[in-house]
Amino acid sequence: MTVFKAYLKVLNKNKALVILYTVLLIFFASFNMKTNSVGTFVAEKPNVLIVNQDENRGITKSLIQYITQNSTIVRVKENDSSINDALFYRDVSYIIYLPHHFRNDFLSGKNPKIEVKSTGDYNASLASMMLERYLKVATTYREVEKDEASLVKMIEETLDHQVDIEMTSKLDSNQLMKARDFYNFSNYSLLAGCVFVICFIVASFKDENIRKRTMVSSLDMKKYNQQLLFANGLFALTLWFLYVLLSFILVGKSILDFHGLLFLFNSFVFMVVALTFGLLIGNLVQNKEAIGGIVNVVALGSSFLCGAFVPMEWLPDFVLKIAHIFPSYYYISNNHFISSLEYFELSWSFVMNIGMLLLFGVLFILITNIISKRK
Amino acid sequence: MKKVIEVKSLTKEYKGLRAVDDLSFDVYSGEILGLLGPNGSGKSTTINCLLSLLKFQTGSIQIFGKSMSPTAYEIKKQIGVVFQEVAVFQELTVRENIEYFCGLYIKNKKMRNEYVEEAIQLVGLEEFKKFYPKQLSGGLLRRLNIACGIAHKPKLIFLDEPTVAVDPQSRNHILDGIKRLRNEGATIIYTTHYMEEVEILCDRVIILDKGKIIASGTPDELKELAKIEEKVSVEIEKISTEKLEEMKRFKNVDDVKYIDGILVVTYQKGKNNLIHLIDYLKKENLQYNKIYSERPTLNDVFLELTGKELRD
Amino acid sequence: MFGHNFKCALKTLFKNKVLLFWTFAFPIILGTLFHMAFQDIESNETLDVIDIAIVENESWKENKILSHVFDELEGDLFSITYGSEEEAIALLNDHKISGYLILSDTLKVVVKENGIDQTVLKFVVEEITETEEIMKQIAFRNPMKEESFYQNLYSMIGQIQNENKVELVDISNQNLSYTMIEFYTLIAMTCLYGGMLGLYVVNQNLANQSHNGKRIAVSPTPKWKVILSSALAGYVVQLVGIALLFLYTTFVLHVDYGNDILKVIFLTLMGCFAGLSMGIMIATLFKVSENTKTGIIIAFTMLCCFLSGMMGITMKYLIDKNIPILNLINPASMITDGFYALYYYDTFSRYYFDLMSLFLFSLLMILLSIRSLRRQKYDSI
Repeated sequence: MTVFKAYLKVLNKNKALVILYTVLLIFFASFNMKTNSVGTFVAEKPNVLIVNQDENRGITKSLIQYITQNSTIVRVKENDSSINDALFYRDVSYIIYLPHHFRNDFLSGKNPKIEVKSTGDYNASLASMMLERYLKVATTYREVEKDEASLVKMIEETLDHQVDIEMTSKLDSNQLMKARDFYNFSNYSLLAGCVFVICFIVASFKDENIRKRTMVSSLDMKKYNQQLLFANGLFALTLWFLYVLLSFILVGKSILDFHGLLFLFNSFVFMVVALTFGLLIGNLVQNKEAIGGIVNVVALGSSFLCGAFVPMEWLPDFVLKIAHIFPSYYYISNNHFISSLEYFELSWSFVMNIGMLLLFGVLFILITNIISKRK
Repeated sequence: MKKVIEVKSLTKEYKGLRAVDDLSFDVYSGEILGLLGPNGSGKSTTINCLLSLLKFQTGSIQIFGKSMSPTAYEIKKQIGVVFQEVAVFQELTVRENIEYFCGLYIKNKKMRNEYVEEAIQLVGLEEFKKFYPKQLSGGLLRRLNIACGIAHKPKLIFLDEPTVAVDPQSRNHILDGIKRLRNEGATIIYTTHYMEEVEILCDRVIILDKGKIIASGTPDELKELAKIEEKVSVEIEKISTEKLEEMKRFKNVDDVKYIDGILVVTYQKGKNNLIHLIDYLKKENLQYNKIYSERPTLNDVFLELTGKELRD
Repeated sequence: MFGHNFKCALKTLFKNKVLLFWTFAFPIILGTLFHMAFQDIESNETLDVIDIAIVENESWKENKILSHVFDELEGDLFSITYGSEEEAIALLNDHKISGYLILSDTLKVVVKENGIDQTVLKFVVEEITETEEIMKQIAFRNPMKEESFYQNLYSMIGQIQNENKVELVDISNQNLSYTMIEFYTLIAMTCLYGGMLGLYVVNQNLANQSHNGKRIAVSPTPKWKVILSSALAGYVVQLVGIALLFLYTTFVLHVDYGNDILKVIFLTLMGCFAGLSMGIMIATLFKVSENTKTGIIIAFTMLCCFLSGMMGITMKYLIDKNIPILNLINPASMITDGFYALYYYDTFSRYYFDLMSLFLFSLLMILLSIRSLRRQKYDSI
C-alpha cells in the first residue's frame, strides 16, 4: 500500500490537468447541442439573410414570405462588415439583395437583376434553388396574369403544393450523433488524460535514484510493479467512469438502452488500451519536460487523423488509411457503428474492431516488458 | 595596509527578521578573509549586500574607496563572485560558459581567450572543455562555477561556500586555486562553515552569528580566545571516579571527562602536560591503547563563544 | 557587450530543446494535422450528386413527362438506380441511397432520416410536380383544348422560364474558405508561445529569478544592455520559427494569406512582439516558479486561441458578434482577425485596427514589466 499511497500523492499534484481536460470535454459536448424532433420528416432549413431595398408590398412581400417560411432568417446588424462576417463564418449561407423598384420592374415585364452572396455549400445551393423556384413560377404566371393580387395568389397556391414524403427510420439520430460525438471526443480526453498522468507518475517512480532506492528496499519487485499497475488501472478506471457518467448526464435519455451499453463497453476497451499505451510511453520517456510535448502530439495526432474532432466521413481517404495504425481508429469506427444501429446487433466488424483494440493492448504490454527487461 | 572594503554599521532586515545586525568590518588588500558562521548566520546576505544585490536599511559600503552601487561599473569590473549555487547555462559547454561570463567583463577577444584558458587550467578542467554541465560530476561543476566567476582576473573575489558537497580531490584543487589567486595579488573574501578550510586558507577570520560579529582576528588569535590550549584523549578501558577527581587537581588541568571508554583531559596552558599524564597513568598501572593530543580548533572557539556547535 | 550577449543568448535558445519544440515543431505538427483533417471539409459541404432510387412500376413507365425529367437530371443532381420496391428498400437500409421515389396515384418520396440530401430530393420533386400544377392553372384560364395542347403548353412554359429569367448575380467574395481561420489561429498561437522565449531570456538575466541573473547583476555590464540584447535574440529565434511555419503552411499546406505580403509580414512582426512582451510581463510580474510561469503562458495562449476560433471557428464569430470587447484584450484574436481582414476584406481599416490593438497590447505589457525590469536591488533573492 505504500506505493499506492505515494501514487495518490503524486496524482494529487496533477489534478489541475485532469480537471482541465474534463472541463474542455463538457464544454465541447454542450457546445454542439441542437435539438430536432423525431420520427417525422423535417426539411433542413438554410440560413438566409434578405436585404430588401424595395418597399415591402405585393410580389416583393410574397417572395420574402416564401423564403422566410422555408429557411431560417438570420438577424445581423445592418452593416456591410457584419453581413460579410456572417457569411464567412457560415452564420448565413445565402444573402439576397432585393433591388430598389424590384416589384415595379418585375410587374412591368422587365427582369431586374438580383444580387446574391453565397457560401457555395449545400445550404446555399438549397437557398438558391428556393429563390429560383419562386422566380420561375412567378415569371411563368406573369405571362398570363396581369393583376398583382391574383398573380400572388396563383404563385402561392402553386408553391404550396407539397409532395408526399415518408420517413422510415424512427431512430433518434440526432441524440445518437451527439452521443457519438461525445464519445469520439473522449478519444482525446481519455488518451491525453491517461497517457499524461500515467507517464508523469511512472516517470517519477522510474527516476534513476528512486528506482535504485526501491530496488535495494525489501519490497518484492513483482509486488511493486503490481501495485503500480493497480494504481494506474484504478486511475484510468476513474477517468473512464467520470466520462461515462458525464455522457449520461449530457445525452442521457437517448442512450439508456443497448446503445449506451455498447458505447460503455467500447470506451471501456479503449480505456484499457489507453492505459497500456500510457505505461509504454511512461517506460520509454524518462524526461518529464518531454512528456507534455509527446502527449500532445500523440493525442492530438490520433484524434485529428482518426476523426475524433472532424467526423470520419469528412476525412480524406488517404488520412483514413493512415489512421488504421492508431487504436483510436477502431474505437471511433465502433462509435459510428453504434450510433447507426436501429436494433441490437453485433456485426462482425464491431467484434473485429474490439479485437484490434485488444491486440493493440497486448502489443503495448509486450513492448513495455521488452523495454523494461532490457534496462 | 590598504583597505579594499570598508563596511560601516550595515543592517539588513527582511520580513521582521534582522539578517545582518549593525555589521562593521574592513578588508585589506592581498588578504584572504574568512567569513565563518553556521547556516543562517548572515554570511550570504552580507555578501549580497556588499554586491548591491540586496537593499539594506542602514550602513555604508565602500569598495576600492568608492561607494558601491548597482551602476558602479568601474568597481564591478574589478570584482569576481562565485555564488553558493552553481550558476551556469545548461545549453553551453564548459568553455562557452566561462567565455560568456568572462565576456561580460573583458571586451578584447584575444585577451578573453587567454583568460578563459588560464581559468580552465586554474580549476583543472582541461579535459572537460567540450562537456555540457549536466555531464559533469558535482565537484567538477563546482570548479566550473568558480572558473566562471574568476576568469576575468578580478582584484577582489567573493567566494560563497564554493566547496559545499565537493569530493576531497576537487576540494583540494579548489583550495590550491584560491591560494594561487591570492599569490597573484587578489584580495579574497571566503565564506564557509568548514573550519578546517579557514584554518588552512585564511589570513584573517570574522565569525558571524545571528548577523553579528562575535569574534575576529587571525586563526591563531582566535584560538587564544578559547580558554583551552591543549586537549588530550586517551583510550582506556576502565578508570575509577576517584582517579578522575584526582586528575582534576593536576596543574593546568581545566576539565576531565570519561565518556565511552575515552578519557579527555583539557588543559588551559602550560608545557609537558602530556608527559605528566603518561607518567601518572604508568604509575597507577592503568592500561591504555591510544593516546593523542590536539590543539583547539575554531569549532572549539565557536563553542566557547556561543555555546553551540558550528556545524549542525 | 551587446553583441557578445546577443550571440550567447542566441546559442542558448537554439540549444534549448523544450523551447524549440513548443515554438518551432509543435505549430508545424499541429498545422499538418489541421491540414489533414480539414482539407476535405469545405468540399464535403457543397452539394454532391445525390444517390436515389426510383421504383420502376407500371405507373412510372406510363408517365412520360416524369421519366423524361428525371432522365434530364441524371448525372447532374441525381444518380438514379431503377428497380423494384424491395430493391429500393434494401438500398435505403444499407445507406446506399438517400431516398427513393414511388409513383402510384401521386408521387411519393421515401427517406430514412432527415438531412440535406433528403430535403433537396423533396424540393426537386416538388418543383417537377408543380409544373403540372402550373399547366392546370394556365389551362384553367385558357378554355381551348386541342389534342396537342398540353404538349405545346409544356414547351411554352419551358420557353418562358428559359428566356424571361430574373438573373441572379453572385457578388460574394471568392475568399470564403473558413478553415483558413484555423491556420491563422495557429500563427497566433506560435506568436504567443514566443512568450516562453521572453520568459526564458528575462529569467536568465534577473538576479531575483535565477543564479545566472545574479552573476550578470554583479558584472559591470549595464542591465538594459543585457536584457535588450537577450530579448532581441529571443525575437530573432521567434522570427526564424514563424518564418519556417509560414514557408511550410504556404508552400506545403497551401494556406492563403491574401495578396499583400508586406502587410502579412508586418502583422507577424507585431504579433511576435506581442507574444514576446507578454512573456516578459509574466516573467517579471508573477511571483511563482519558472515552471508555473510556463504553465501560465501555455494556458493563457490556449485560452486566447480558443476564443479566437482554434477549437471551433464559430467561437470567433460569436465573440465578434456578441462580445467584441473581449477582442480588445485577446492578442490571439487581434492576430487572427488581422489575417482574416487581409484575406477576406478589400479595405484595410480593420487590419490597421488590429495592428494598432496589438501595438497597444505590447506597449501595455512592456510598461507593466518595466518597473520590475529597472529594479537593481531586491528585498530578497
